[in-house]
Amino acid sequence: MDPKREFELMMTRRQLFGRTALGVGTAALGHLMNSGGFRADDKKIGGQPGFPNFAPKAKRVIYLFMNGGPSQMDLWDYKPKMQEQFDVELPADIRNGQRITTMTSGQARFPVAPSKFKFNKHENNEDGVWVSELLPYTSEVVKELCVIKSMWTEAINHDPAVTYIQTGSQLPGRPSLGSWVSYGLGSENENLPTYVVLHSKVTRGDPDQALFARLWSSGFISSEHQGISLRSKGDPVLYLSDPHGMDRKTRRDMLDDLGKLNQMQFQEFGDPEVAARIKQYEMAYRMQASVPELMDVSKESQEVFDLYGKESQEPGTFAANCLLARRLCQRGVKFIQIFHRGWDQHGNMGGDLPTQCKDVDQACAALIKDLKRTGMLDDTLVVWGGEFGRTVYCQGPLTRANYGRDHHPRCYTMWMAGAGVKPGIVYGNTDDYCYNIVDKDGRVIEPSIDEFTPGAVHIHDLNATILNQLGVDHTKLTYRYQGRDFRITDVHGHVVKDILQ
Amino acid sequence: MISGFASKWVLLAVSATVLSVSVFSNTLPRPTLKRSPRTVDFNRDVRPILSEHCYKCHGPAVKDVKGDLKLNDPASATKDRYGKFAIKPHDSKNSMLLERVTAKDSPMPPTDSGMMRLTAKQIETLKLWIDQGSEYKAHWAFIPPVKPALPEVKDKKWSRNEIDRFVLAQLESNGLKPEAEADRNTLIRRATLALTGLQPTPEETDAFLKDSKPQAYERVIDRLLASPRYGEHEARYWFDAVRYGDTHGLHLDNERSIYPYRDWVIRAMNRDLPYDKFASWQLAGDLLPDKSTEQLIATGFVRMNPTTAEGGAIDDEFQAKNSFDRTETFSTIFLGMTFTCARCHDHKYDPISHKDYYGLFAFFNSTSDAPLDGNLLVPGPAIKARLPEQELTARSFERKMQSALNQAHSEEALAWAGTISITAPKTSKWEVSSPYAAKTFDEAYDMECGPEPNGKVDASKWKTLDLKLGVAANVVPLEIGSGFVRGVVTAEKAGKADLRVGSDDAVKVWLNGTLIHSNKVLRSITALADTVRVDLKQGENTILFKVVNGGGGEGLIINFGDAVAERVAALVKNPQANSIALKRLFLENGPQTDLSQDYRKANAGLTALDKDIPMSLVAEELPSPRVANILRRGEYNLKGEEVKRAIPKVMGEMPKYAPMNRLGLAQWLTRKDNPLFARVTVNRLWLQHFGTGIVKTAEDFGNQGEWPSNPELLDYLAVRFAEDGWSMKKFHRLVLTSATFRQSSRVTPEKYKRDPENRLLAHGPRFRLDAEVIRDQALYASGLLRERLGGKGFRPYQPEGLWEALGFLGSNTARYTQDMTEDIYRRSLYLFWKRTSPHPMMLTFDAPMRETCVVRRSRTNTPMQALVTMNEPAFVEASRVMAERIMEEVSGDRERLNRAFMLTLSRPPHAEESKVLMGALARYRSLYSSRHADAHQMVSVGMSPRNPALSATETASWMMICSTLMNTNAFLNFE
Repeated sequence: MDPKREFELMMTRRQLFGRTALGVGTAALGHLMNSGGFRADDKKIGGQPGFPNFAPKAKRVIYLFMNGGPSQMDLWDYKPKMQEQFDVELPADIRNGQRITTMTSGQARFPVAPSKFKFNKHENNEDGVWVSELLPYTSEVVKELCVIKSMWTEAINHDPAVTYIQTGSQLPGRPSLGSWVSYGLGSENENLPTYVVLHSKVTRGDPDQALFARLWSSGFISSEHQGISLRSKGDPVLYLSDPHGMDRKTRRDMLDDLGKLNQMQFQEFGDPEVAARIKQYEMAYRMQASVPELMDVSKESQEVFDLYGKESQEPGTFAANCLLARRLCQRGVKFIQIFHRGWDQHGNMGGDLPTQCKDVDQACAALIKDLKRTGMLDDTLVVWGGEFGRTVYCQGPLTRANYGRDHHPRCYTMWMAGAGVKPGIVYGNTDDYCYNIVDKDGRVIEPSIDEFTPGAVHIHDLNATILNQLGVDHTKLTYRYQGRDFRITDVHGHVVKDILQ
Repeated sequence: MISGFASKWVLLAVSATVLSVSVFSNTLPRPTLKRSPRTVDFNRDVRPILSEHCYKCHGPAVKDVKGDLKLNDPASATKDRYGKFAIKPHDSKNSMLLERVTAKDSPMPPTDSGMMRLTAKQIETLKLWIDQGSEYKAHWAFIPPVKPALPEVKDKKWSRNEIDRFVLAQLESNGLKPEAEADRNTLIRRATLALTGLQPTPEETDAFLKDSKPQAYERVIDRLLASPRYGEHEARYWFDAVRYGDTHGLHLDNERSIYPYRDWVIRAMNRDLPYDKFASWQLAGDLLPDKSTEQLIATGFVRMNPTTAEGGAIDDEFQAKNSFDRTETFSTIFLGMTFTCARCHDHKYDPISHKDYYGLFAFFNSTSDAPLDGNLLVPGPAIKARLPEQELTARSFERKMQSALNQAHSEEALAWAGTISITAPKTSKWEVSSPYAAKTFDEAYDMECGPEPNGKVDASKWKTLDLKLGVAANVVPLEIGSGFVRGVVTAEKAGKADLRVGSDDAVKVWLNGTLIHSNKVLRSITALADTVRVDLKQGENTILFKVVNGGGGEGLIINFGDAVAERVAALVKNPQANSIALKRLFLENGPQTDLSQDYRKANAGLTALDKDIPMSLVAEELPSPRVANILRRGEYNLKGEEVKRAIPKVMGEMPKYAPMNRLGLAQWLTRKDNPLFARVTVNRLWLQHFGTGIVKTAEDFGNQGEWPSNPELLDYLAVRFAEDGWSMKKFHRLVLTSATFRQSSRVTPEKYKRDPENRLLAHGPRFRLDAEVIRDQALYASGLLRERLGGKGFRPYQPEGLWEALGFLGSNTARYTQDMTEDIYRRSLYLFWKRTSPHPMMLTFDAPMRETCVVRRSRTNTPMQALVTMNEPAFVEASRVMAERIMEEVSGDRERLNRAFMLTLSRPPHAEESKVLMGALARYRSLYSSRHADAHQMVSVGMSPRNPALSATETASWMMICSTLMNTNAFLNFE
């Protein structure tokens, strides 16, 4: 258990002792338990003192994670000049010694594969933004989006890369971003988890890249901060349902009996942890009601389902998860992460990418519109993207109609929206080959992890910026473990002020 | 050498804030202890302040030292700087340090450093320290422990052994009195849980209550230490530290075979293998002279790091990452420090340099296992993990074979060899089919396609294939699917030949329409991985291959030959030197004689013995070490200076006799004068029994770690541990028979206020039990627990879809299949541990993922935990079976309730508790007697058959009582 948490618990215990003699009656204890915490600020449950560090723009985050590495030059980063370079070798000076995965490092050639998809220019709040025909719905909301074309990372394989962007380290063991947020900021709703994870069905069938529990784990921070999966099959929260044959009243009666037994133990031994335990059982009882209420979308209007698309009525789809995310926001859940898999197009880009996009496009746009409509976009940060990008050169057979792309860490596209992020802009540029980040004059930028490079956004910068919008200075949100103060951005990360209002 | 200040250690914290070592713990209340004349100790009082607030810029990290001032270095700190001094001993007025930290304008540390300003109390401490002479001392944990004298205590009666003297002296100096001894019910429950991870049976409890002879408690301890459950329980803590798992842990997260290592640890614990040996064998069993099988199995420790074979991964990168993990796990477990900081640069707080890190790293980067695991179940090197008794049987077979070998004549063997010639068959007419797409690897493997003997329709189009023996060909141009290759093998005469096959991924082979080989495996093409001995008929034979791809690359490679003939051909070139090998081949393949019969029988016996013995991954040192370089920023491709194997400078030198390899490292580690090895270990063992270590930061004994709550006790235990022959059992016995451990865990408000964390041990231990113990206890109370030592990991009830939601479709752990046998009731330490998705019950109760080394679990209290113990099927089933059990075993409500209490809490109910639960029982009876369907549903939970003779109403009612007991704080706690 971490020192801070212990301190809080102890404060709680001391107050308990302060207010009650050892012979406290159940009623008095019960009153204490039900008074909704001991803090003046009823809205903040848990979290660290001093956090948020400054007034937050975002009260919550919805992070739409496209696992596998969506192809930026087929979706967001329009490269018309590549059409003439079909099957032409990638110039060596463009590649410039960048390491290549062993899946393609043995290839004799690195021929350019131009995108087969049409791009259209859409009006935003600056010079407009080119978007692929595969994202017709998202195109409608680009006035709300800040499209970052200059994301970069060092990792070039899935497991290290996705672990890196989620936890700030390529090796397992560190807390995930959502866990940091839960630890630092606490919760606004003690009947629901602070950090919720949703997994989405993929139309193409079993996806070809894995996820790992470590991606929403709390690492060395105590496990109460780990992401809790809300499942579409079975119990939405594990073991939420009482056994078959037990009704709510029976559970209530059992908990009352249990409370009495625990209370007797408290009287005998004076261990304040007993009080904390009783409280957790009561929270569990309330969750048994609040979670089904959350999952029950039957009272949502037809208009809402039309907005998110008909899949939104099928539990477990990305669309249904987006709708749930909005409902979670309404209930004060701080950090919601929706995972959608299958974005690893080493081959069959022509066949698979449209299906992938169809899974998410309408719902992404609907989420933005819905948040906007309900006024929540002002204080909800939405983030979309994956762990790295893809190469302009082809992996496997190349035709105009079909091709594959290998992993590419040097530049890729993500977008953010809401909560004080500049709407309707594009940030960062890449060269004609979508291989390197360039400045506005087209000169290649060699971004460094050690200092902020304007125009380039390292994944640590992204995490620093997300925390900044939550009112958190990423350098202050630390946790002492094994003699070192850890943080999500390690010893790096800079807030990208250029994209903030 | 420490005796001079050791006596001061008892005084411990002079002030709460001075002790603080972390930003967060600044606000954490400490035990309020008696004030004493204020003598400042560098290690205890000053270093934490400097480390926390100054070392970042003025500390051991050499490169970025500011203003040429290193406050960790007395020479630098007291240097005459043009008449000014950062620190002038005995003269705080002329010490710039104090001036700078108190300055009105831009005081140290600077605001942009991220460091906190010093408190008034900290400044006062620095002032006192300087005025008292600013003596520097080496960090306490780097000084070898010396056995301290037993402190004098006022209360001469309370102490039962040496531990108590140290604890009591500290209590007395703080004006505290220990609690009375816990009652016998509590004692036996506490001891049994502490040593076996299970509660005592009602019979064991009764026997202890009735045992009025002296030493009754000590006899219980000895009985428990002799129980095989002891090893199972003790090993469990070790598995967190070594991050034991049944899967690779990264990417595909396929299964891997290393559970014999787990079982070895349990057995080693049970026979109380001395801890120095226990550590040495794991670190370097492969380097021991005349190493035994179990010493090799022990080196599974080295192989336990997560590994990957993700398509695209680069060898060098993972060679480095695997070695990082091994280095850091080694140092956390054995030295109480991770060194992680020093992976990228000199350690900012501890005297561990970047170079030190890679010196240690160099011990671990030269094992022969490939950096990428090939997603294999058994990525070599690995051995047949024979148990000691199996080893004996094997030896006897080997002796028989040896005796036959001794009797065989070289001349006969050579004559026989002359009759053997290579008859490699010819191949021709190779064709490849069009591919068959599938959704999953399993489907592709199982689906019987056209060309297969049972294939529905042969719709495939065959094309000529230019397949050359020994050269890989691409045959399945699909991510997931199968492809077929067929050809003709022509033999001059009927006989045996060896077909060798490599494939990506799985393969099936038919010869003349008969399936002769199948290997469902995910692998890349490693040349000719499988060898199949085939019977060829004279003339043309048809051969058909099915290659199944599960993603990524694909291909097929084959070769034909005659392994025996080829070996003979190689050996006869130098018959004298190879005479034994030739005799072996002769006995195996030559004419049948009595001698060859003996040999073959023994050989067959050996093969049969080994058939069901699992493989276990082991460490094997390369003949010459890999070059190790400092890696700048810890990046594998930023190679710096070459480094030689070395232990960190601050920790002394390797003994002269020690070889410069893992064995030498182990020899250095386990020397009695190693300052950390024993301390770190006894602290971890102490943590098991008291919930907190004497050093709370069990993983960090460095500068940033916490000061020991009772340094003399820690040193006493460390020295005693070594003196007692590194016996863990003796250590446990010492702790458990102490008066300290035997105290009641009752806490008065007064004591709670003084010492909320019970660091002074003024009462007995109390903390929530670990996940495994909670589950095992529930199963044990019901009688469902099935005990069997060792074996493959089991798969109990698990909510649907957990693995499926995460898994890579090509992984062999992408889908969860529950065991359908009684194995689901095994002890939790045998759970099949999938590292990317461990069982949710375990994670909910704070078990670590086992991806990284953990020596101290967090201990949380969450609503999710309540949901588990109320609703998880194993718990619900346990409450049902326990209800049936008490109904079968005793009659009468009072007796049954009594039994239920004894089974769960090891004591009878108090009157008040009885009243509550009897009332509840009446309520449940009335409820379920009117709702039969509900009652029936309740009791239908779980795979175990229910007792049809018992009424559903009654069972359901008692089930609720049992479940209530299993959710009590008392059941979930160690107390």
